[in-house]
Amino acid sequence: MAHAFKVRIDEVRVPAPDHAELIVHSGELIKARPGQFCHVLTPGMLRRPISFSRIDRARERVGLLVQVVGSGTRWMAERQAGEWLDVLGPLGRGFDPPEGERPWLLVGGGVGIPPIFAALEAWGAQRTSSLEVVLGARFKDYLIMTDDFRRMAVEPALATDDGSAGHRGTVVPLVEEWVSQHPQGQLMACGPTPMLAAVSRAAASLAGPVQLALEQRMGCGIGACLACVVPAEPVGPEGPRYRRVCTDGPVFRREELVF
Amino acid sequence: MDLTVRLPRGLVLKNPIMAASGTFGFGPEYAAYVDLNRLGGVSVKGISPEPWRGNPPPRVWETPAGLLNSIGLQNPGMEVFLEEDVPFLKTVDTAIVANIIGHTVEEYRQVAERLSQEPRIDAFEVNISCPNIKAGGITFGHDPDQAFRVMEAVRAVTEKPVMVKISPNTAEPWIVAEAVTAAGADMISAINTLVGMAIDFKARRPALGGRTGGLSGPAVKPVAIRIVYEIASRVKVPVIGMGGIESAEDVLEFLMAGAQAVMVGTITFQHPERMLEIIETLPEVLNAYGFASLSEAVGAALPSRKEH
Repeated sequence: MAHAFKVRIDEVRVPAPDHAELIVHSGELIKARPGQFCHVLTPGMLRRPISFSRIDRARERVGLLVQVVGSGTRWMAERQAGEWLDVLGPLGRGFDPPEGERPWLLVGGGVGIPPIFAALEAWGAQRTSSLEVVLGARFKDYLIMTDDFRRMAVEPALATDDGSAGHRGTVVPLVEEWVSQHPQGQLMACGPTPMLAAVSRAAASLAGPVQLALEQRMGCGIGACLACVVPAEPVGPEGPRYRRVCTDGPVFRREELVF
Repeated sequence: MDLTVRLPRGLVLKNPIMAASGTFGFGPEYAAYVDLNRLGGVSVKGISPEPWRGNPPPRVWETPAGLLNSIGLQNPGMEVFLEEDVPFLKTVDTAIVANIIGHTVEEYRQVAERLSQEPRIDAFEVNISCPNIKAGGITFGHDPDQAFRVMEAVRAVTEKPVMVKISPNTAEPWIVAEAVTAAGADMISAINTLVGMAIDFKARRPALGGRTGGLSGPAVKPVAIRIVYEIASRVKVPVIGMGGIESAEDVLEFLMAGAQAVMVGTITFQHPERMLEIIETLPEVLNAYGFASLSEAVGAALPSRKEH
């Protein structure tokens, strides 16, 4: 029977101001696919769904990277190596592996960058065609994990809202440009919903799969409470139907969603 | 210790701990985490005749010792429930309570009539108290005359045991409990969530997509204890208590306030296994406070019991 379990924090990294990456040891969580998440117990009334920033099967370690946005993520960021987390997981529908022959674009925005890195780490070595990475954030310090991408021999194209690093503005023009050059391509993205909506529009003409990993405030994490829904197809007379990020997602195909 | 609870019309629970409606899906969702055979019962998520979309997200918001939700009773409708979830429910040995909802008296009647034909449904919980829908629901639960009419319509189409779930959002919730009992309700369940609101500072608007939501969790427990106590003091039928239960001690508090059984909800999101832990520790807790049996604890704090 599945159950909540405890995992030991091996190491705490600080990838940016107001961010923390907890490297936890777990033979269970390394079974995760990039884009899946685990549901972390915090002192509040709800667990926090955190996607995996890295899945190291050899060393049985996964990364849980959070930005401090409220009480739960603050509590997580204050943890120390040697402490334990209570988790449920891995949960949800992750990314499908890339199709080998198609050009592949990975797009990450802010604290949506971690699952994008996990996808690159999992599948980047097997690629047979071109791969590019576009990362965006509000400003330079929030462009997390760029060194991890470089360590994988990938130089990400960067965009910041204030122009403090890379292109000034959002990732969207960079995505549009790539799409026009790679009509047969495929795309994976994770980031704030407005970014995903714009990426989804920009990628509408791509021949390959467009996979988008969504975020939503979540309750149970296992499909029972119907809290973490997002608007999805089909759109009826009353509007879109609502689907669960926790079990129908977090990764959806662009054609499944309504922004 | 024998924890069996015998309720009206032959409804038997193997112990007094049931999963509360809305927190446990339609049955299969938690089966990987909780051995349903060990629970006293499961009240499934609210079911209407036709599918309901529910409210726009965000649908949950954490508050001090509480949880605001605005799900809006999203459900696939009674036919999908019968087709997709009842086959699973037939494989587990626990009391199944169908929580039923409607926009009109006629819709409550329809869903009760249809689900009454399904032998796997052991009882009904008529939800006239959900604060998250615009039409129906709570408007029936805040007016004793309308509540009476809903219960009367349900009673006319089913011989199964029926409980009515009471709203805490009126000055005197026992008036509605008295009305539905007069219309043939076999039991009362109390309480549903308290209407509340939180503001999202950054968005400068109410935090929930549905603006208002229902508050649950430990924050509401004293309100629930008080309402269970008042209803149990006034109404002859059994009361099923709920609101913020996290431990066997919390269960005992509801029992002593007059509940014969309880439902556990919000805590399951954090600790799926907590209901089973409560069932295991309940006999010790009863003993620790001097109760030799479950029934001895029921209503122990009610004035009528003290006078004996």
